[in-house]
Amino acid sequence: MAVRKTKQGAQHHIHLHTGDVGRYVLLPGDPGRCEMMAEYFDEPKFIVQNREYVTYTGKLLGQKVAVTSTGIGCPSTAIAVEELIAIGADTFIRVGTSGGIQPGTKVGEVAIVTGAIRDEGTSLHYMPIEFPAVADIDVVQALKEGAIRAKVPYRLGITQSKDSFYGEVEPDRMPMADHLKNRWKAWVDGGAVCSEMESSVLFIISSIHRKRAGGVMLMAGSVDTQPQTEEEFAEFHKLFDVHRAISTAIEGLKILIENDLK
Amino acid sequence: MGKVEFPEVKYHIQMKKGDVGRYVFLPGDPGRTDHIAKLFDNSKLVASNREYRTFTGTLLGEKVSVTSTGIGGPSTAIAVEELIAIGADTFIRVGTSGGMQPEQIPGELAICLAAIRDEGTSMAYLPPEFPAVADITVTQALKQAAINLNVPYRVGITQSKDSFYGQHEPERMPVADHLLQRWKAWKMGGAICSEMEAATLFILGNIYRKRTGGIMLVAANQESDDPNVGVVEELDDLMAVSIEALKILIKLDKKTE
Repeated sequence: MAVRKTKQGAQHHIHLHTGDVGRYVLLPGDPGRCEMMAEYFDEPKFIVQNREYVTYTGKLLGQKVAVTSTGIGCPSTAIAVEELIAIGADTFIRVGTSGGIQPGTKVGEVAIVTGAIRDEGTSLHYMPIEFPAVADIDVVQALKEGAIRAKVPYRLGITQSKDSFYGEVEPDRMPMADHLKNRWKAWVDGGAVCSEMESSVLFIISSIHRKRAGGVMLMAGSVDTQPQTEEEFAEFHKLFDVHRAISTAIEGLKILIENDLK
Repeated sequence: MGKVEFPEVKYHIQMKKGDVGRYVFLPGDPGRTDHIAKLFDNSKLVASNREYRTFTGTLLGEKVSVTSTGIGGPSTAIAVEELIAIGADTFIRVGTSGGMQPEQIPGELAICLAAIRDEGTSMAYLPPEFPAVADITVTQALKQAAINLNVPYRVGITQSKDSFYGQHEPERMPVADHLLQRWKAWKMGGAICSEMEAATLFILGNIYRKRTGGIMLVAANQESDDPNVGVVEELDDLMAVSIEALKILIKLDKKTE
């Protein structure tokens, strides 16, 4: 069955055509964050919006770059990534927010993701569960150097990509409470650093299509470091600043572009 | 269930604290430990029990070791558990493998970024959704070493399987269709080699917060588009790159200490 396109020949959901984006695409979850990311580009330009998919393009070091939102979760992310690949994108950096998993994680640290726990349903339509959802090593290395350049404290590690937000934050009220809590303990013991909802399917689809993908997530601290007093809440909101993840991604992307130009 | 008291000397590897350095090479084959140990300074046979054979020596003045794991996840998990218990914290699996992508030429090296958990042992540790990922610093050092020595390599995913003959002769297995279908998925996913130990090593590394990596000689390639593709059993490049990578890591560690 042929892939459906719009009457104007654009991709069915993201409403973009070949040539609209370059090879480099930032992928936030929230459509509301696309504009603030595009402000880091030279010559930022709004291209199109349809459903939860908003796209801006611009330039970095003279190269065409783009930002497209994925919406929350792997189902909508898979659609965005499939359609972006179809129009020529080959390098993806997911930029988002997340919860910290390891005790002692401070609000404002970013997680540079090396691999993802496939705690979701979408990637199973592509690959058996044993296949690892792993980021591209050159993207990871660039993001690590990007965090150093942007002077943002970072942790490298594995993210939990889940389908159920409230299953993670309020497991006790779920019919599957014991199951959810047992698995969460396994992820903590396994050393996972953060929890979010889109990385695993991005990595699996990128492996299949031989594209490069990575991710940088701002962390909201861990369970043991949550704010208690009014002063601590004020400090939390100051540090939970998504620009930390964005500046890391932008610096990392510049490093990738520099290396690609070589 | 009664608690079993283990002696100071670890049950299977027959070694105690001090017998190995923090850096350990892990070949599958006990016969290859001698080959690697020859490239150490001051190497000495420390222990040999079952499939576990260990030499310890030095590189750049740092204590380093090589311990064979035997074939498969079960014996590898035992070796890694016991080596961690006596102080090792950095592991490089060194082995042979088959290529999985048509363009791979026997003789090139496969640096393992992550592993398909096509085995049973790691399931006793973590659910299958958890990715078996190597340490980024170790992987980067292996890549840099291949570049420094000008040996062809690629970085990617390995299939860590339990059944050697299930991979090589799937047609004769009762679950033939299942095996063939999964093999096709691994190939389409871009896996670059097939071996039998990396997934277990990487999962244990994640749980115990130890550094792991893997480098495999692509000895043959059943998926090659060249019908006359040969078999390469020469291990010198693999060994030289592995040693170079460990020297890079040791220098990095000295800088950050």
